[in-house]
Amino acid sequence: MAEMEVKSGGGHKKGPGVKKGKKLSTRVDLTPMCDLGFLLITFFIFTTTMAQPRAMNLSMPKDSDKPDDLTKIKESGALTILMGKGNVVYYYFANDPTKIQTTGFKDIRKIIIDKKKTTPADDLFITIKPDKDATYKNAVDILDEMSINDIRRYAMMDPTDDEYKLIQMTEQAGGIK
Amino acid sequence: MGRAKIKRGSTNIDMTAMCDVAFLLLSFFILTTKFKPSEAIDVVTPNSVASKAAPETDAFTVSLDKAGKVYIDMAQSMKADVFDEVNTAKNLGLTPEDKKLFSQATFVGVPFGQLKQFLRIDPENLKNTNLSGIPVDSSNNELQAWINAVLNAYKGRKQPNFLIKGDNNAKYTSFKGIISAFKKNEIFKYLLVTNPEGVPPGTALYENNMHPAAPGTTETP
Repeated sequence: MAEMEVKSGGGHKKGPGVKKGKKLSTRVDLTPMCDLGFLLITFFIFTTTMAQPRAMNLSMPKDSDKPDDLTKIKESGALTILMGKGNVVYYYFANDPTKIQTTGFKDIRKIIIDKKKTTPADDLFITIKPDKDATYKNAVDILDEMSINDIRRYAMMDPTDDEYKLIQMTEQAGGIK
Repeated sequence: MGRAKIKRGSTNIDMTAMCDVAFLLLSFFILTTKFKPSEAIDVVTPNSVASKAAPETDAFTVSLDKAGKVYIDMAQSMKADVFDEVNTAKNLGLTPEDKKLFSQATFVGVPFGQLKQFLRIDPENLKNTNLSGIPVDSSNNELQAWINAVLNAYKGRKQPNFLIKGDNNAKYTSFKGIISAFKKNEIFKYLLVTNPEGVPPGTALYENNMHPAAPGTTETP
């Protein structure tokens, strides 16, 4: 491509009096062009963003004043997960907040999986209660945990006053800031 | 006369092939690249296993920075309508000039009272200005009015995509304020913008992805 040989015309014979024109080389030095090409490639490689942001679906239930509309949960299938300061997770089974246990984001998956295995699928219900010291990341992480473990029924709500007190007591005892 | 000339090997390398490859790659990167829009709000989103790409058309994004301040930005196509709706609903008395500035603004991050001054801040200085964010407290939830304006602007059409883009370190309280603003407008479905993350092996979702034959939707009832 770069070197297009201009062949001296085969069949066409020039007369004896016609002077031969000097043939200029048509070779183009492609080195600078190649340099430029790679320079631009480097630029685009660095500026490109391959990972597009993803979106996570979140559906919230409608607030209802009528107690009849509330979802009934079987006590045997209930797991409540609470989140407090310093990425600490608390959980308790059934509806007995006094039996609250402390864990972290690393171990909560095992607890969810164990609970899922021991409960009939229709009874399992996880309540997520981030308190006001929890961060947005905590909330997203726990929602992510729901989709990782394929939990179909879960809800997000605020901790009750008792639960909040329990968390604060645990936090003070454990020195979590 | 009869001496044979020693043929010198040429030191010229044919660059054509290399140049071809270089430009092929170049065109690939030019076509696939998508410049990061310079963001005035610094938000580091959390990771999630969600695999759906965030929609970009008709998007109304609520951003939550690490200090818990709330900002909104919206698709260019809805700006004019939303501006008119907010202006009449809240009696802000904004002028057509404000409207023009509003359509140029990349985001809104002040209460209604300061909107006029906010629109006149030089975009260059915006990053250094201390903005108060849109109030989302239970007593004064202005985000609710914004969302209401968006809904009115989209009346009779398909609802826009509501996106929430929160920072890792934002407190949950502010997030709750956003949620309640949506809730009061009867919107219960929104999308959380996250960064992609690998699914941990051995989990239920991982198995579902491996064997797509078994339907594995992970949606709330």
